[in-house]
Amino acid sequence: MGWIQNRFEENLVITSLDWALNWAKSNSLWPMTFGLACCAIEMMATGAARFDIDRFGAGAFRATPRQSDLMIVAGTVTCKMAARIRRLYHQMPDPKYVIAMGACTIGGGPYFKYGYHVVKGVDLIVPVDVYIPGCPPRPEALLEGLMRLQDKIRQGTIARPAQPA
Amino acid sequence: MPGSAYILAEGGPSLLQVLAVFAGAAFLMAFGVLVLGLLFRPRLRHPEKDAAYECGEEPVGPGWVQFDLRFYVVALVFLVFDVEIALFYPWAVVFGGGTAPGAAWDALRQIRAAALWDMLFFFGVIVVGFIYLWRFGYLDWVRVVGGRPDERQVAATRQAPAAGTAG
Repeated sequence: MGWIQNRFEENLVITSLDWALNWAKSNSLWPMTFGLACCAIEMMATGAARFDIDRFGAGAFRATPRQSDLMIVAGTVTCKMAARIRRLYHQMPDPKYVIAMGACTIGGGPYFKYGYHVVKGVDLIVPVDVYIPGCPPRPEALLEGLMRLQDKIRQGTIARPAQPA
Repeated sequence: MPGSAYILAEGGPSLLQVLAVFAGAAFLMAFGVLVLGLLFRPRLRHPEKDAAYECGEEPVGPGWVQFDLRFYVVALVFLVFDVEIALFYPWAVVFGGGTAPGAAWDALRQIRAAALWDMLFFFGVIVVGFIYLWRFGYLDWVRVVGGRPDERQVAATRQAPAAGTAG
């Protein structure tokens, strides 16, 4: 991690810095366009004017991993796609986050039993931060998932854990 | 001094000092942001991160391949015709306009002369490129390498008796 990570114990400067860094990170989550199936339609609706994910700073959908912080895996992950997802995840700059959107992405969904071509959960390939259930989830659910991810980012700290006395 | 009074007050900092402060602030901003990023950003290396981006596919070779140098002709034509027009038109529209009272008139005339010489210099540089394009035939857009088939035939029949005498 960065030079400042785990270097100082918690104090006024570090917590203020934490606040500023987390504010910047959580309010400028640029998602990567990763629509794989029907969930992508709901993701597009979330990005459009009615639901407007841009209110949360996450409206700048990027078509390249180099500029994105958040991978919204929206749709059925096939075995053929799995290798690409993993490679694209690795190509994203840190810090990076993953949202698993929809039943297929969480655990195979309707393809769990007979879908020989479907990965039974994207968390087998990349680390997932937030799971959004639904088939497909409504845009409000995606917004809720985004807010939970923002909560998660805001809890992060660069302070070193206190030494046991 | 009505001309310079708008820029700097008497007894204040000189123009050079103001410029130095501006340049220092600009340098510090750029440099400071870079140093801040160096301290805060996570550094997690991964071989995939350095690989070329090909939409998630396995990259075929590195991204740093040698570009065909002949594209310079396209760049040169663009520069000669497009950039020239883009810079000349706004300049030509405002050139010679404006007026100033009293002593400022001389300053205005000097600025006009400077603007004219600047533009002539720029035009001279562009003309060198233009001559180059003309001289080496890059302005002939429709070209057939080696001539058209009928021309090649004519050339062959012309050279045939010469080849016969030589052999």
